[in-house]
Amino acid sequence: MTDRLPIAAGPEVRRDAAALLRDYRRSLAVVLGLNALAAVAGLVGPFLLGELVEAVEQGTTTAYVDRLIGVLVASVLAQTVLTWFARRSSFVLSEHVFARLREDFMRQVLALPLSVVERAGTGDLVSRMTADVDTLARTVRFAIPETLISAVTVLLTVVAAVVVSPITALSCVVGLPAILIGTRWYLRRAPEGYLWERAAYATMTGTVGETVDGGRTVDALGLGRRRVERIDADLADAFRAESRTLYLRTVLFPTVEIAYVLPVAVTLVWGGWLVSAGHASIGEVTTVALYVQQLADPVDRLISWLDEIQVGATSFARLVGVTKVPDDRAATGEEPEHERLRASDVRYAYVQDRDVLHGLDLDLEPGERIAVVGPSGAGKSTLGRLLAGIHPPRTGRVEVGDVRLVDLKLETLRQEVALVTQEQHVFVGTIADNLRLARVDSSDEDLRAALEAVDARPWFEALPHGLETVVGAGGHPLSPSQQQQVALARLVLADPHTLVLDEATSLLDPRAARHLERSLASVLDGRTVVAIAHRLQTAHDADRVAVVEDGRLTELGTHDELVEHEGSYAALWESWHGGRSTDGD
Amino acid sequence: MKQLPFADPGKPDTRSPTRFLLWVGRLQLGTLLLGMTFGIIWMLAQALLPWVLGRAVDEGIATGDSRALLAWAAALFGLGVVQAVAGTLRHRVAVSNWLQAGFRMIQVVAHHAALTGPAIRTRLTTGEVVATVSNDALRAGGAFDITARLAGAIASYFVVAAILVSTSTLLGLVVLLGVPVLVGSLSLVIRPLQERQREQREQVGRLTAVGADTVAGLRVLRGIGGERVFLDRYRRRSEEVRRAGVRVALPQSTLDSAQVLLPGIFIVIVTWLGARLAIQGRISPGELVAFYGYAAFLVIPLRVAAEAVDKVTRALVGAQRMLEILRIDPLVGDPRTPAAEPQQGAVLEDAQSGLVVDPGLLTCVVTPSADEGARIADRLGRFADDGRVTLGGVPVAALAVGTMRCRVVVSETDPLLFAGPLREELDPWGRASDEQLLEAIAVANAEDVLDSLPEGLDGHMEERGRSFSGGQRQRLVLARALLADAEILVLVEPTSAVDAHTEARIARRLHEARRGRTTVVMTGSPLVLDQADRVVFIADGRVAATGTHRELLRSSPAYRFAVTREDAA
Repeated sequence: MTDRLPIAAGPEVRRDAAALLRDYRRSLAVVLGLNALAAVAGLVGPFLLGELVEAVEQGTTTAYVDRLIGVLVASVLAQTVLTWFARRSSFVLSEHVFARLREDFMRQVLALPLSVVERAGTGDLVSRMTADVDTLARTVRFAIPETLISAVTVLLTVVAAVVVSPITALSCVVGLPAILIGTRWYLRRAPEGYLWERAAYATMTGTVGETVDGGRTVDALGLGRRRVERIDADLADAFRAESRTLYLRTVLFPTVEIAYVLPVAVTLVWGGWLVSAGHASIGEVTTVALYVQQLADPVDRLISWLDEIQVGATSFARLVGVTKVPDDRAATGEEPEHERLRASDVRYAYVQDRDVLHGLDLDLEPGERIAVVGPSGAGKSTLGRLLAGIHPPRTGRVEVGDVRLVDLKLETLRQEVALVTQEQHVFVGTIADNLRLARVDSSDEDLRAALEAVDARPWFEALPHGLETVVGAGGHPLSPSQQQQVALARLVLADPHTLVLDEATSLLDPRAARHLERSLASVLDGRTVVAIAHRLQTAHDADRVAVVEDGRLTELGTHDELVEHEGSYAALWESWHGGRSTDGD
Repeated sequence: MKQLPFADPGKPDTRSPTRFLLWVGRLQLGTLLLGMTFGIIWMLAQALLPWVLGRAVDEGIATGDSRALLAWAAALFGLGVVQAVAGTLRHRVAVSNWLQAGFRMIQVVAHHAALTGPAIRTRLTTGEVVATVSNDALRAGGAFDITARLAGAIASYFVVAAILVSTSTLLGLVVLLGVPVLVGSLSLVIRPLQERQREQREQVGRLTAVGADTVAGLRVLRGIGGERVFLDRYRRRSEEVRRAGVRVALPQSTLDSAQVLLPGIFIVIVTWLGARLAIQGRISPGELVAFYGYAAFLVIPLRVAAEAVDKVTRALVGAQRMLEILRIDPLVGDPRTPAAEPQQGAVLEDAQSGLVVDPGLLTCVVTPSADEGARIADRLGRFADDGRVTLGGVPVAALAVGTMRCRVVVSETDPLLFAGPLREELDPWGRASDEQLLEAIAVANAEDVLDSLPEGLDGHMEERGRSFSGGQRQRLVLARALLADAEILVLVEPTSAVDAHTEARIARRLHEARRGRTTVVMTGSPLVLDQADRVVFIADGRVAATGTHRELLRSSPAYRFAVTREDAA
């Protein structure tokens, strides 16, 4: 039932990237300018060496040599200082750009439509938040600046060679075809290979993680050898991926390296001929030869960062993809006139033409407590989501105070009805942080009262720092039932008049669950409660019981009425309560 | 390239990080030497390029001798080809070295973790183990990768120094002493940089954790509210990371400019001295060009040396972390001489509580708290050595752990499902037929899970089975426990997360499926208890009553209260 979140297409990615660059164009211009100046300073050395060779050849004085060396010293110092400023500005800029990217992403994730969050699950989003943001960090912080710097350096070096001796510099181009063809071949294949590597290692990491987490299971079922085989199988896949990328590099490296040295040899031969023909001086040829040799380094860096940029682009597409999710509701501005929640003739399908609810009606009396029971897969949870306004029904209406739930603003909806599932989450932060999210302006007193209402007082008072105790991953550990109490305390603070509890207490020790349900009952007094529960005691305590089977409401009434009715509920109750045995599978 | 992973990664030397790394190195000595050979050829080819360039200038261009020029240009190109080919081979062997070392370390550590059971988690978090396996091992492999280039760096350093000494003692000395001084001064800049990078990495790690945490709880945030607060919190962290990044920018740009300045000074000195020699006529213009080339080239071995120091340091740190895992022993070990195995159908007995598990029956155990039930199950399965549990009269502590795991299978409160095809994960032992698999799935009433996978039994289950709901996972776990086909099966709260309808169905089918075999269920659910052949009620740590569910409901008010929560009346 999980839907994947979208991934942005090429044109969208380019549009977003261009917009980002436009926003930073001034800083970008400064970064490029400084790097260009640093590159120019780096070109002085070979030029001076050419002059020196020329001077020595012609006969010269120590004073002249010292003067040239003085210029060389000045150029080294200038290059040092310029490099410092250029790098610094580039690092600072990329930190800014990257910070903005991740903050934008977080903002968009936090605005994802309710129905998408419920259906897509969080696994995909967590991997975008961690793995893709990490990949992009490398791209934004290193790959893009390095690529730009290398490109500028290459360009300026070629320009310098042309300025020194246009005719000699012609030799630059001989390496070009091999570099272009080789790089193109490589770049078409490389990202896939590197993504394969990454995925293979991620799988291996996952296998090790679940092996360690499930150490007890592994031991109990004697699965140790099998886990070892699984780890080795993951490594074998990683090895195949490594072999693939190594093959790609085995083709690329000699191709480009030979393409780097070929122009140097050609420059010598071509330059030698030009000198003998009087078209160039020996100094010029020396300078150009050194420039051509010096080109290898930035060209090499350019190529090696380009594949990182491609990998980064796929991560960027996954981050941008989140913005492409259409909103699932548009508030009409209507306000509910009363608190009565009603579902009439609702049908719902996750997959087209396969309804899981077949025309279900349910009227909730304000303040009543209704338990929904039924076998798994009967559509109880789907009904719960419709009643909480998360999905619109395919046909029929779910409305509160005569307004459809999906026509309400999200803020309004939350004051009307809330859904609590068994999947709870305690955020890393203090207990107060964890509670206050439900109502930002709550006082510490409100928070304590909410915890007390859910019977959390005994353990809460034993916490080392009270409300300021840090909980969540890595913090003070909370048991599943304590986590559930935190979740329920949030509801007390959020204070909606209707609550949908979808097996909210199911993962708890049965004994604790009942305790919790009872204490909660007093808190929920006055609220309308829909409890989708599998413990019959919950049904027993409810005002009414609704039995959902096969997407239909088959029985509805008080506990006593249903027991008398002798339907499937009665049969279960008998068995649970120790009456006659049940049959009918 | 050597095929990986290793069929048997061997038994590591865990006495110290250095010995551990040496153990790894010894096992791939051949590849290491091969890498060094290519590394030396590759780097010498580069070191000799300036020399050839100088000769080409002198004998070709300056003299106008086109034949000599062609010959030297061809030599230059040939050297380039040697460099390219040796460089590529060097890269291949270096990658092989890196992978061999990295994979061997991953294998020994991960295998050890897999075979040590729950002991690891008592000492380290899952995150720490995963980080060690996925980062530290491969990073430590870097120390083996660098050997090829380091060998080349050292060889070329001496060759260049020798060439320069033969021309001018002064120049030679400048190079011989200058390079180590430069390496040393670079490390002065590198250390504060690494310090701040470490700080930044930690900040980034915390930010990622905050991001993952926020996203993982997105349902809560979108359902109840608090998006604004969490966005602000993330932003604040993000700004801190940005500032940490800017702090890194300072030493990083200093390092980058030092890498311009230090070799630059070196080039200036060599060129200046060379030019003076050239004026005096002691060296030719071509040799001056060559000197300039050597000085520029020496930057490479210099950087390699700095990198090698860094990689070896990291490898030692990583090895230390790997050893922490390798030194953890399983919680329970085999006795020195295991006792003879009791016969099939032996009685399992827990002297501490007085619980006696009769063979061939479905026994349900009711305890005042779920934790206590779990503790009894732990004792029965020998997950702790402190119990006084006997199987057929033999203390289980006297039996081999493997024997116990075969005969008594305990499915604890919250067992894990692993990623993989459903078929393999439900029957990791590979002994069940499709029919048996489907039967076990039917007993656990997990048909809906099977239906939700288009490929059925061949469908893929995600890590920890997290694409399924809690109830679905619990039913799959039950199916797997049934397929373990144990003589004695102990289940702890196997239906706590399923609805009453399903629970009743599972209980009935479980009774049927395990007919004639020994099954113990720790539960408080009347729907399950109703199906038991025998119910044992434990109060205050001891057996308080025994009988069927209905008998106990009638005869024991305490039992009635415990399971139905109705006041004893």
